[in-house]
Formats: sequence, structure tokens, C-alpha cells
Amino acid sequence: MLQGNPLRIIEEKFWEEKSFMKRNPNAFLKEEYEELVKNSFDWKLRILETGSAPHSVVDGKEVVMLCSNNYLNLSNHPRLIKGAVNAAKKFGAGSGSVRAIAGTMALHMEVEKRLANFKGTESSLIYQTGFAANAGLIPQLAGKGDIIISDELNHGSIIDGVRLTKADRAVYKHCDMGDLERVLKDADTKKYNRILVITDGVFSMDGDITPMDKIVKIAKEYGAMTYVDDAHGEGVIGPDGRGIGAHFGIQGKIDVEMGTFSKAFGVVGGLIAGSQDLVNFALNKSRTWLLSGSHPPAVAGAQLAAIDVLETEPKHVKNLWDNTNYFKKELKNMGFDTGHSDTPITPVMVGESSKAKELSNGLYDEGVFALPIVFPMVARDKARIRTMMNAGLTRKDLDFALEKFEKLGKKLDII
Amino acid sequence: MMITKIGLIVNPIAGMGGKVGLKGTDGVLKEAVKLGAKPIASSKAEETIKEYISKFSKNDKIQWFTCSGEMGYDELKNNGITNIEIVYSPSCKDTSSEDTKNACKKLLEKNIDMVLFCGGDGTARDVFQIIGNKIPLLGIPAGVKMHSGIFGVNTSATAKMLHEFVNHTLTVGDAEIMDLDEERYRRGEWNIKLFGIAKGIVEPTYVQVGKSCFESVSDDEIKDELTEHIVDEIEENKDFLFLFGSGGTIDYIAKKMNLDNTLLGIDGVYNKKLVGKDLNEEGILRLLEKYPKAKVILSPIGAQGFILGRGNLQLTPNVIKKIGLDNIIVISTPSKLLSTPVLRIDTGDKELDCMFVEKEYMMVVIGYRLSRVVKIQTNRF
Repeated sequence: MLQGNPLRIIEEKFWEEKSFMKRNPNAFLKEEYEELVKNSFDWKLRILETGSAPHSVVDGKEVVMLCSNNYLNLSNHPRLIKGAVNAAKKFGAGSGSVRAIAGTMALHMEVEKRLANFKGTESSLIYQTGFAANAGLIPQLAGKGDIIISDELNHGSIIDGVRLTKADRAVYKHCDMGDLERVLKDADTKKYNRILVITDGVFSMDGDITPMDKIVKIAKEYGAMTYVDDAHGEGVIGPDGRGIGAHFGIQGKIDVEMGTFSKAFGVVGGLIAGSQDLVNFALNKSRTWLLSGSHPPAVAGAQLAAIDVLETEPKHVKNLWDNTNYFKKELKNMGFDTGHSDTPITPVMVGESSKAKELSNGLYDEGVFALPIVFPMVARDKARIRTMMNAGLTRKDLDFALEKFEKLGKKLDII
Repeated sequence: MMITKIGLIVNPIAGMGGKVGLKGTDGVLKEAVKLGAKPIASSKAEETIKEYISKFSKNDKIQWFTCSGEMGYDELKNNGITNIEIVYSPSCKDTSSEDTKNACKKLLEKNIDMVLFCGGDGTARDVFQIIGNKIPLLGIPAGVKMHSGIFGVNTSATAKMLHEFVNHTLTVGDAEIMDLDEERYRRGEWNIKLFGIAKGIVEPTYVQVGKSCFESVSDDEIKDELTEHIVDEIEENKDFLFLFGSGGTIDYIAKKMNLDNTLLGIDGVYNKKLVGKDLNEEGILRLLEKYPKAKVILSPIGAQGFILGRGNLQLTPNVIKKIGLDNIIVISTPSKLLSTPVLRIDTGDKELDCMFVEKEYMMVVIGYRLSRVVKIQTNRF
């Protein structure tokens, strides 16, 4: 398409003629993109022609959706849609400002109050996205003379948040409490002002849960602050999906519980839950929060409805876990290695990257949408298909997907 | 697919001293043969090639360059390989280190991508002397001593590394060539020196740049980060003398700081200026009198990941005790740490080794203000 673009042809001709000029300021855009394409590192966007539903149409084909984060299928829940529509009708399409100036609506405040209540914390704060929460808050929690101690497999947005600080950084082996304690002990002797221990709650590649109760206990001994990114645990683990604090029975004991409305909650937006002091500090200091517009009323209306649904309709979380347990059990019975997941993220281990890609392509052709996770996201011999369960899938859907897994698993010599 | 040009050199007599207890084959071949030593290098090389052909070579395209007879051609031919160009033939049947060196000179003319050789530290030294650090080296372990950081752990690991190099899944990074005085070693004295820094084959370091998107970072970028870290460290400890240890990573940092340092020796730096070059124990102690507060920067050396006791014997127990264990800064690129996951220490002083054993773990700086804990292992316990 682009080759025939007359504007592009004129531009290229221009630069050819102006070869005497110092530099072509835009040449790198094309060069770097083409390099990505050459190495197959570019993102090929898959287009949904329906909503994100248990059955979606992706690139023109109807598929059983096994790779969305819409765990509870709340994005299609009538109460959330109604919440969004009503809020838009009442308060308009946009919020008009950043939160700090004139963009805080009563609706935003209500969501935060209800969220804190749901999480069992003193207070909460909504960010524009989960990334904005990590990138905005982490750099304020630690600076020069402080140290951030991080699980080696933490998510990229935490890593970016950590990079923005002048604090020292240390990593500990994945979920290894002995290693965490060794790092803490060393940090303790070095006389840092603040120590911040930061971790994912549910790790998105393997679906395992961090031992948050132990982390809180060890951190307390050393006077360290704890921060958990519960993006994949929010709405999924703990009673009624109240997240990792509730899962371990330590509500209010984690200093910062960070999460998102974009996954199980079915909407969009980042969140932190903790003490009032934390929220006061965060909203005055997080640059991402202070410098981007607040959520439109429709988003806040849907967030509020999502909390309503979680508090009053326990069947969604129950369905999610019933589906998860059935799917895992059947995969194991077929002889698949499903790793050591404790959550609705179920990896189907394949081994070689090329085989994982082949399996994913085969599944799509058969009407199942699940993406491969390959090296270097995971170790070279640990390539896999990552499946994410959805509460809206029926037993019939799961049997359909399982049958395809079995067929292709045998064909590719995985089982 | 691109054709990779691999040069193969087998040192047929490597390893012969080992089985008969001679701790090396340099200069004692006749004695070894008398004691009943049998050649092993040739079969090790053949085993590696066999493993490579049967498991990995399916889509690889290699053009081989080698020497006649047992120095490479036989091992390739016996595995059914035909695209071989012979670049060198030894003049007599009993080959020597001169033959290895002459073969390397011929290989250099062929613009090869990598030298695969079979032998021990002695062979590595000979190959490195000619090839230098322009072309990566990969060693098939067959010698008596293999302290240099360019050997595969065993023949099958070497075969896999060859395949991964051909397929660009592994990259090129620093690897130390170690030098051991065999005469003194046979008398029971350790005297391993760092001989040079070659290019070896390493696992690349990856950073997450997008949600599920990673980019590999070159060793030099990581070393730039380590340089910034060390510069900060020096600025924050203005009244400290910094002793720069030996090895490629520390050499890179010193060069970036415009210091006229030594690659293989120990240098003293104060206030970002060189105050002592290629120091021996006496020189270091003299500096420590002038600057009583000091820190020493170390990096794992060689195949076993020694930070003390191999390649930096100038840092004697006396020196380390004066500086204090808390003033040791260990740095490493993450790729190096992957191949040597423990830090080894052999100071030759029981009391000092015990102090390290008590520590159990040390923090290792792996990026700008980024560190992790790594286990310490001493040879004596």
C-alpha cells in the first residue's frame, strides 16, 4: 500500500534530490521498523470484529477466546454496560480536566470509596492505567539513598517504574524467600533510608502466586515497605475476587496493593489501595496521575458497576474457577504439562519455540485463540501456549477447545 | 541462509599428561607416552562433531576449514562431512604447539567466523596468541587443565554451542585465557595468571522493552552501565583508593574512564586518576599505606568463576585483609554470571577463606545500581 502512496513517493524523491542536506530526520522510522519485521519482532495486530467475548471474531474467524484478560467476562455484563451508558448520559463523554484541577467528579470519588471497602483497605486511588500507577508511584517511593528490591520475573511496567528512580536496585530469585532475606540483610547493613520490596502478585507467564504473607512478614522485620502488582489477581483470587491481600488473609497489611480495572473488572484503569497516608502522598506526587486527564464518566460508571457485580454476584468468580479446574484437569489427563500455575492462567508447555508457534497457529485454524509465549519471554526450552480462562465459557466450549488441544498435541508429538 | 565458516584445529596430544598424573602435556610428551598415555583429543573432537551432526546440524550451513590428518580432517571425514578445505598440513607426525599456531595463521587468511579447537589451556593459549580477540573461539575440552573461559562443559554442550552460534542464538562476549606455569604446577604450586581476553560464545542478555517483547542488549551496553555505576561509586567515596582487578569487564570500565590501565594486572585509582599501574603485592601495600581506605573491584575470571585466587594472585591474603571484605565490589555482566553461577574463592589462606565461607553470599553488581546475591564457594571446604 505505502509504495503506491503519492505523498511518500514525493517525499522520497525530495530526499534523494536533497542528498546534500545534513540528515534525513525521519529515515530511522522506516529502517528500524523494517529491521523488526525482518527478525519477526514486529507486532502483527489481530483485529476483533466483535466485543471481547468468550466467542469472538478475530481477523474474520470465529474463535473460542483463550487469551483475553477479561477473566470474568464482565466487559459484556449488562450492569456494566448500563453503568457506562447512564454515566455518559448524565455526566457527558469526557471529564474536562486532569483530576488535580477540575477533573475529579463525585463519581470518581465514589468508585474510590467503594473500591477501598471492597479491598478492605483504608483508602484507594484510581490511575488512568495500571502502567500509569506503576510508572507514576514507584519513582516517588524510593530515590537516592534508598533501595528497591524486586522479584527477578517482575512485569515490565514495574521495571520501568523502577528505572525512573535514582534508588539502588537489587533482584532476588523468583519467589525465593531465602534469597529475598539475604538481599534485605545486605541492604540493612548498608544503611539505606528506605527499603521497598516490590513484586507481582500473580506472575503472568506461569500463573503462580507470590508468597505475599511471607514477604510481608520478612519485610516487616527489616522495616521495608511492601508493594504488590496484583493485576492478574484482582477479581480472580481471594474470596469474591478481592485480590491477593484477601487471598492470604492479610488485608490492609500490604503497604501498597496495586491493581487494574482492565482485566477481571472488565473496564480500564489502574488502582492502588492502602492507607489514607499512601493515597494523600500518591495523588500529590505521581506525575502520571497529575499530568493526564481523568477517566471519562462512562469508564467510572462501568468501574462502579463492576464492583457492584463482584459484591453481589459471586457466580462469576465461581464459574471462572470451575472452568479453570476442569480445563487444567482435562489437559493433565491428556498428558499435557501445565506447569505450576495456581490461577486461571494455565500454561501448556511445549518446549521448542517453533513448535509452540505451530500449535498456536493450528489452534487458530481450528477455532481456538491462544497465543504462544516463546524465548526470550521464557527460557529457550520452556516455550508454551498461555491460556487464560473466562467465566463466560460453557462446558461445551471447553470440550471443544480441549478436543483441539488433544488433536494437535498428538499430531505435534507433545502428548 | 548464510554459510558460516568454521575453522577446526585439533591438538592430538592434548590431555595425554593427565591420565598418567603429569598435570599437563607441555614439554613432557615423551615421558607421558612412556608411562602409557593414549591420545584422547582426537576422539573427543570426533565425538563432538558426531553429536553436532546427529542432533543439531539439520539446517545449518557450515564450510569447514581445517588441517590434514588427526589435526582436524580425519575427525570431520569420519563423520561424513565433505565440504572441507585443508589449510595446513603438519610437517611431521608428532605435532607441536608450533603446528597449532601455524594452522591458526592459515585460518586467519580464510576470513573464518569462528575457531573451534580441541585441547586444553595450552592449546587455547596457542590459538589465542595468533587469533587474538578478533574472532570468537570455542574449545572442545580435552586437555588436562581447562581454566580458560572458552571451553564447553563437555562434548555435547560444545556441539550445542556450535549450533547456537551458527544460528545466532548465542552471541560473542569476553572470555579469559588462563596461563598456568606447568613446571611450577607439577611441584604443587598454583600460579595461574590471566593470559589474555579472547572472544568467546555467550548467552545474550535480554531486557523487556514491551509487554511481552524483549530486546537483547550487547555486552558493551551492559559494561557502559557498569562503568556509570563504578564512576558513581568513586564519586560517592572520594577519600577511597580503588584497586581495579584484572579481566575484560574491568578493563572496559578503565578504558571508558580514560585510564591508562593494564588488562591483566592490578591498577590503583584515586580521584579518577591512575596512581599505580600493574602493581604487585608490595606496590599495593605501599599504596594502602598512603591511602588507608580502599575498595577493590573484582570480576569473575575464567571458566570456574574465580574472583580471587586465579588470575589475580597479586591480591594476596594480606592485601585483602587490609582492605576488608566489605570493601570488595564484585561486578559481572549478567551473561557471564549465567555461565559461572557461583563465585569461587581460593586465597591460599585458610583464615581468610573461612571469612568468605561465613559470608556465604556476596552482592554482585550486574547493571547500573542493580545487583543480586550470588553464592560463594571456596575450594577448601
